[in-house]
Amino acid sequence: MNNIYIKSIMALAIIFTFSACETESNYEDLDPSIASIAVSNPDFSVLEAAAVYGNVAVVLSNKNPNDPAGNYTVFAPNNDAFARLGLNEENLGVLQQSFLTNTLLYHVSNGNLFGSLFSDGASSTSAISLDRRFINRGGNTFINGSKILATDINASNGTVHVIDKVMIATGGDIVQSAIALQSAQVFKQPELTFLVEAVVYAGLVDALTASEGSPSFTVFAPNDQAFKDLGTALGLSFTKPSDIRQLPKEVLATVLLNHVIANDGKFTSELDAGIISPLGGDPLTLGAYTNGVLTVAGVGNAQPANMAIPDVQATNGVIHVIDAVLLPNL
Amino acid sequence: MKLPSKLLAIFCLLTSSLLLAQSPVSGFMKKNNEGSFVVSYSYEKYDKVFLVPQEVDGVPVFNEVTNTSISLYGEYGITDNLNVVFNVPYIKSEGEAGQGTLDNLGFENTREGIQDLSLYIKYNFHTFNFDKSELKFIGSIGLETPLSDYKANEGLQSIIAIGNHSSSFNALGIVNFKVDSGFFTTGQVGYSFNDSGAPHALLSQLKVGYAASKFYVDGYVANQLSEKDGVDILGDGFTGYFPATRVNYTRVGLNGFVPIIDGIGITAGANTYVAGRNLGKSTGFYGGLVYSF
Repeated sequence: MNNIYIKSIMALAIIFTFSACETESNYEDLDPSIASIAVSNPDFSVLEAAAVYGNVAVVLSNKNPNDPAGNYTVFAPNNDAFARLGLNEENLGVLQQSFLTNTLLYHVSNGNLFGSLFSDGASSTSAISLDRRFINRGGNTFINGSKILATDINASNGTVHVIDKVMIATGGDIVQSAIALQSAQVFKQPELTFLVEAVVYAGLVDALTASEGSPSFTVFAPNDQAFKDLGTALGLSFTKPSDIRQLPKEVLATVLLNHVIANDGKFTSELDAGIISPLGGDPLTLGAYTNGVLTVAGVGNAQPANMAIPDVQATNGVIHVIDAVLLPNL
Repeated sequence: MKLPSKLLAIFCLLTSSLLLAQSPVSGFMKKNNEGSFVVSYSYEKYDKVFLVPQEVDGVPVFNEVTNTSISLYGEYGITDNLNVVFNVPYIKSEGEAGQGTLDNLGFENTREGIQDLSLYIKYNFHTFNFDKSELKFIGSIGLETPLSDYKANEGLQSIIAIGNHSSSFNALGIVNFKVDSGFFTTGQVGYSFNDSGAPHALLSQLKVGYAASKFYVDGYVANQLSEKDGVDILGDGFTGYFPATRVNYTRVGLNGFVPIIDGIGITAGANTYVAGRNLGKSTGFYGGLVYSF
């Protein structure tokens, strides 16, 4: 009698213990949330850090309140995409938090958009109401200048596609975008300070400002280091933006218009090697499209310029920040 | 061979991990006016996290988390059938976030403080004495409550919070069977009622051990299953408030105890999680000094 009593007690204890066990089969067929996908995939470790710093990690864990089915579609830049901009998990602090949040939301749209629905030339509105467009090139599909590497990763709250470049849209026109960088609203360090000063000094603000029916441009925007290098090449010293006024206004205007093409604003995914004609100065030579970027050279450049930050969407065109000033014959 | 009951009664262990990873009440009773105190140090570390639906490598933000603690534990026999148990830990939780990450988020890599007081009473309802063995039925209720105002609501900083900062009322039923040769087994089932938005949880534990005059050893498996109203980290309903998460686990461990001299002994053990939901996959060790009277 004792034996049976004992055995049944022990059996009960064992049953209680193991029936209460947590096992993976309790939940392994659940879809992860979009935030979970970023966290569990090592290729998205910088995106994970960006989502945390940009305060969107909790948002992308939950259902989308702005979609009837609760879904988001996210174009997720992988670690290589962030590395192109010199960004990693630790140094995201070089960006203003508000700019990072808006940039992340530019990769998000409401509802499920599956890969089969990407259509050449179609546009897609992001969660911050700025559009992106799909472009077919050589068998690949691009969104703005970013190649889509993988599609239709299912999440409990939507769909994830993987892209190879971070998409950037400032929400402003060409002049406002340059001023956003110059006034440290993008990077905490001001950038394009010389360019903004030059555009103002040369009287080109109106031409590059968007208005009803105004044309769209592709702009190659030389960064501050590019202008400092130009000063050195000219035997001048450009240490602060106002130094650019050492150049005659008309010369500067011609040089600046050498960087603007009235072609409706093209992403790198829409550009090819060859000659293009800017609004002023002399024709530019684009190098071969390689790994998502192209070099660009003016007739007066010994070396072509590289794209430091390509494919910045403005309301009246696309800006590619480059590392040298493009020179016409002067 | 009659078991040295005092030796057995000396053994009552509580490892001070952040969750109730091992039950604070054992299947043994102190006799009237007998008791013991344990001062112990514990160390556990994890760099993998049981998230839903899969385990991830690398703790978000903090990469790897190390928890250390010093605890004071005691059990005292008010009567032969009524014992009181208490435990107080001081816990330090350390992450390994890079300085860039800490600066960007305004976070710190350390959280420490006095955590929660546990206070239980154990009542031995009935003992069946057999020819060469004994079967006890014990009931226990207890309260756990934070002793300091440590923070658990700092969003993702609270990945390294030292606890939930919630109070709980716990009820446990324990069955202990021991044979004269020294083997014993204890099963327990209980329920934890939690406040501050933490879900209630079903607790269970099975322990098998051996007690001899010169040493004691046991192995256990402990489970927690939280109610479904808890949320999953980074899942639907997650707001960044970790105490509301649905924490489940299966943890296994080993404990040992050796008496040295005059009522003083040494205890040590190890444990690890073999399954879990919404918690770090930690492996831990502890060591402590026991004084019994």
